Amino acid sequence: MRNIHLGLGLGFFLMALIFAVSSLTAIYRQRLGQTKPEITEKAVQLPTAALATPRAAAMELMTAHGLRGDLREIKEKSGTVTFRIVRPGEVAEVAYPAATGEAKITIRRQTALNTLMALHTNHGVWHEYMPANLWAVLAFCTSAGLILLGASGIYLWFKHYDERRIGSALLTSSVVFGLVALYLTRLEQ
Amino acid sequence: MGAEKKIFEYTKKLHMYSGLLTFSAFLVWGVTGVEAMFLPAAGEYRPPPVTGTQEIAYQAPGDLDDDKLCRAIYAAVKIPLAAGRYNVHRDEHSHLAFNVFTINGGREVTFLEERGVVRVDHRRNSTLSYLSSMHTAHSGRHQLTVMASLWGYFNEFSTWAFLFMTFSGLYLWIATRPGLRWAQLALAATVVVTAALWFAIR
Repeated sequence: MRNIHLGLGLGFFLMALIFAVSSLTAIYRQRLGQTKPEITEKAVQLPTAALATPRAAAMELMTAHGLRGDLREIKEKSGTVTFRIVRPGEVAEVAYPAATGEAKITIRRQTALNTLMALHTNHGVWHEYMPANLWAVLAFCTSAGLILLGASGIYLWFKHYDERRIGSALLTSSVVFGLVALYLTRLEQ
Repeated sequence: MGAEKKIFEYTKKLHMYSGLLTFSAFLVWGVTGVEAMFLPAAGEYRPPPVTGTQEIAYQAPGDLDDDKLCRAIYAAVKIPLAAGRYNVHRDEHSHLAFNVFTINGGREVTFLEERGVVRVDHRRNSTLSYLSSMHTAHSGRHQLTVMASLWGYFNEFSTWAFLFMTFSGLYLWIATRPGLRWAQLALAATVVVTAALWFAIR
């Protein structure tokens, strides 16, 4: 069990650190001050073949102009097509007239800390952008690992006979407080 | 006992005590993280069904614009654990309508001016969704009732404890069994995989 606890702890060390730091960044966001994203604008002429659909235009921007992420929020209004290419920490807003294909791209790149927060909430394996799926799988394993880490830690503590009194008081306090706080808050409907 | 041995023993105790004291927060985080894997994709979220409707008598002062009227209704209806209003609009019957976020599921508020009534539709969330909301509580968020506030402080404390346990766990390994080959490989693998993904995304 000692080895399992150690293995889980080391196996998810960096992810655990990222979750802890991103959580603290979220908690103290206001005290840390608002950090604005770095904004870059550029103009791109889309080739005729890329004007067939917004997806084709997005693919062209990804393969030929280095944009990466999930294609989202495709809209068409008054002859202008708009969409976003999103990945954790970066959003590219694209707008182009369907007739001419002169695309204007605005890229908002977040700071490293804000990217950590975006990764904290990155979930699911439905992304078109593969690294986001892989990250979500890693986060899922880390979450499951966290539960196992807690369970194996409790087992290891229980084997420390001289720590049972203090440990029992701490664990009971945690569980009772947690259940009462969560239950009473849930009743506030 | 040498100073090094003392530091080791104290760190081990603190590591253990921190884990035991914050176990319930750990469990909530773990469950939330596992559940997150199965949440709908961006843009595909569907709110839960309406689980209850309440009608409250309300007479509006005549000189308020929509935003001020919305604020006045929000203050008057006193929705438990209300944590902000959004999406203020006029519905298809020109009734003022807006949404209210609560940890226990959103409310859709509609002012039926001709009847002098505010209708509040409650879309109660699932227990997992509730736990997901509670896992984000801290000293500056969800400070709505004594219990919710205490949970927020506990959750914040647990985050610091988590950071401490991450480093103290590493220290305890290095202090006892640093030569363990599989442990070295596990750490190297997590660093390489996580760093590779970070650079790929960044």
